[in-house]
Amino acid sequence: MSEELLKLEKLAVFHGSFQALWDVSLVVRSREIVALIGANTSGKSTLLDTISGFLHPSKGTIEFQGKDISGMDPFKIVDIGITQVPEGRRIFPDLNVLENLILGSYNRRARGEREKNLERVYTLFPLLKSRKNQQARTLSGGEQQMMVIGRGLMSSPKLMLLDEMSLGLAPVVLGELYKALREIRERGITILFVEQNVRQSLQEAERAYVMESGRVVLGGDVAELREEEKIRKAYFGV
Amino acid sequence: MIDLISTIIMGFLLGGLYALIALGLSLVFGVMRLINVAHGDIVVLGSYLGYAAMTILGMDPILSLFFGIPLMFALGLGIQKFFLNRAFKVSMEAPLIIAFGLSIILQNIYQIIWSPMSRGLTTSYALKSFNIGEIYFPLVYILDFSIALVVMIFLREFLRRSYMGRAINAASQDRKAAQLMGINTDRVFAFTFAIAMALAGVAGICFGLTFPFVPTSGMSFLIIAFGVIVLGGLGSILGTFIGGIVFGLTQTLGSYFFGVNAQLLVAYLMVLVVLSIRPQGIFGRQG
Amino acid sequence: MRLNDSKIRTTIPAVFLIVVLFVLPIAGMPQNWLLFLFVFFTYVSMANMWNLLAGYSGLISLCQPAFIGVAAYTVTLLAWIGVPLYLGMVAAAIVSAAFAMIISIPAFRMKGIYFAIGTLIVPEVMRLIFLIWRPVGGSIVGGGAGYAIKKATEIPITYSYWLALFIWIASVVIMRLILNSLLGLGLAAIRDNDNSAASSGVNVFRLKLYSFVISGVVTGLAGAAFYIFQGYVDPESTFSIRWTIAIMLSTILGGINTEEGPIVGAAIVVFIYFMLAKYAGVSLLIQGIILTGIMLLAPHGIVGALRQTRPYQTLLRLANGGSVELGFHK
Repeated sequence: MSEELLKLEKLAVFHGSFQALWDVSLVVRSREIVALIGANTSGKSTLLDTISGFLHPSKGTIEFQGKDISGMDPFKIVDIGITQVPEGRRIFPDLNVLENLILGSYNRRARGEREKNLERVYTLFPLLKSRKNQQARTLSGGEQQMMVIGRGLMSSPKLMLLDEMSLGLAPVVLGELYKALREIRERGITILFVEQNVRQSLQEAERAYVMESGRVVLGGDVAELREEEKIRKAYFGV
Repeated sequence: MIDLISTIIMGFLLGGLYALIALGLSLVFGVMRLINVAHGDIVVLGSYLGYAAMTILGMDPILSLFFGIPLMFALGLGIQKFFLNRAFKVSMEAPLIIAFGLSIILQNIYQIIWSPMSRGLTTSYALKSFNIGEIYFPLVYILDFSIALVVMIFLREFLRRSYMGRAINAASQDRKAAQLMGINTDRVFAFTFAIAMALAGVAGICFGLTFPFVPTSGMSFLIIAFGVIVLGGLGSILGTFIGGIVFGLTQTLGSYFFGVNAQLLVAYLMVLVVLSIRPQGIFGRQG
Repeated sequence: MRLNDSKIRTTIPAVFLIVVLFVLPIAGMPQNWLLFLFVFFTYVSMANMWNLLAGYSGLISLCQPAFIGVAAYTVTLLAWIGVPLYLGMVAAAIVSAAFAMIISIPAFRMKGIYFAIGTLIVPEVMRLIFLIWRPVGGSIVGGGAGYAIKKATEIPITYSYWLALFIWIASVVIMRLILNSLLGLGLAAIRDNDNSAASSGVNVFRLKLYSFVISGVVTGLAGAAFYIFQGYVDPESTFSIRWTIAIMLSTILGGINTEEGPIVGAAIVVFIYFMLAKYAGVSLLIQGIILTGIMLLAPHGIVGALRQTRPYQTLLRLANGGSVELGFHK
């Protein structure tokens, strides 16, 4: 068994007075692809934002490479090697593709590796190279998604958090993106992705966690999960 | 006819100065979503600092910027850290009201130190003029326009090429996405406000060289700057420049057609009209 | 509808207070005290009306001096052509309402911070207009529409005092009526979220307009009363941003979004006003420092801070017959 990269233990997170996460524990090991599945508002995005430092847990710990990071600011989290590719993509619409990518290398650790990372992103998504001087707002949805994944890679991450990348994308495009994710993993980057599409998630990931109204209700290897009564009933209807 | 041509050219040149006055307000609003109602008074602070350097140290107002810009920058970092940064955590309205409080404090400090009397940065070159044919220009208008141009080009390059400039640009487009890039937005806000203060300092010197000022001049600067932004739209230095020129032309043409007393009135009314037609400005983008 | 216990319990002391305030001048209260109370009444009325806009409707209006000036000039100009002052006041109310409606056309197209700045320009425009334009009387050197208000000096302070007291009571009653009516509910929805209020069938524009016009009329009348007492008007003073400062400070210092806040705030602001009347610069400087400080340290104002203490809660519960829920209006 490989090393535990990210370990959440009994997290409780509040939005104001509303408790969004209850007693959440999960583990992501080095070089894994892990899926986080569940319906809308089950707390998946809240969980990613908590790992990214936008929300701080009132109880529990977040360990990254053995260190507690639960009180860190978002920009520090990027510094230590966790990048988030957010829901809705959140491109910088007025900048061109290259400028968007360069912003990804803002943290001090990544600045020195900028050219090397840029080459890698271009090998992964050759399309971005040909569009590098184009304004980001003029890209198609799939191209924008490639750009923000590339932007995340520019920060030299160890762990990449991906939030709902399938929203509004055609299946063909999505297939390409998942292929890219596998290549990213081959380069030694661990991936935790959030997805509503359960069938696809269980295909792409090695392990998965299922969330329901702010709690992790199931977790394990995807092969085991597919056999799980609850999942079959809820998502596959058999 | 010659009068009208010179009025138009003067309005154009004056527009550079107005754009310079508006630049800091535009930057702060673009990044921090705060209309800094103390901006006008900060411009006046620049004028008074120049005045102090001139009367106490005998220094040329433009040369005094070598000390003035770092001083304004440092003050900006302080105001952001001790007032605005905390205000943002209180409520949506708090920064606006605190900026309003700062504006009152500044005005009355000027009043106490420098009295309500009107002052000016009178230098030998400020009074010179030159002519093309029959049209005479005050040299200082050309000087203001050139300084404004240099400052705007400098700011544009800074925002495009430096890491901090790019971070400021990113934070103004999407704050959360900027944080996801590893940008410390508190630091970006502090730098933005400090840069805006430094820009206001330069604007204050230019204004002081051109026109007399009083402790309460800040109010008209604020409305001018706001008008320029409304006309030119946010987030674009070019837009601010164009807005400044439109505002300058409105003012000088207003004075030409309706008399000197009406020049500000005409300009203010135009701002109100434009605001009611297009609240996000003529060249501004939606939302 | 039957008056319940708690309503009686709050109504009786209120009526008692009004009667006491009413007879004070007859009972021989010194002029200085009457003057203090007079200014207090005008300030607290204006603060109430700003609270209605900024605290309850989410409209940070910076054009209150425009209402004050427009009303004061209406009274002045009508007095100039021989109209009695009480009729002038009626006209001032009508003109203020019309003015508020005209201003609302551009202002209500702007949202949030744009609304604040848009309204900030209005008194400046009015000031500039009255600096250039002298509607009646010959031109004078130095320009500007400064006038003595005819017959105003013949009005004893007692009358001014009663007038201001009446305006204050009216402003409180209006606030109560609005907050307890459907209008109040609608306004709360607007303050919390414009869009959801609009989608839930609340006519946002009309509700905002009502509160803006009401605020304009009462603020204008309070201002006119102030200038009738003072006896003269001039554009630099009537349209001055100092009014905005005093109104804003009274409300925020006392506690924005609370009914009793403006009373506490206005009392302190009027105290500062009289203490430091000779040193205008220092007085404003201190007001600015207090405004900034209170916003940073106690953004809910004095009443807001007090409300969190137990003795105040007990007091309020007793006063209300134990039936009123505590906390800020939501």
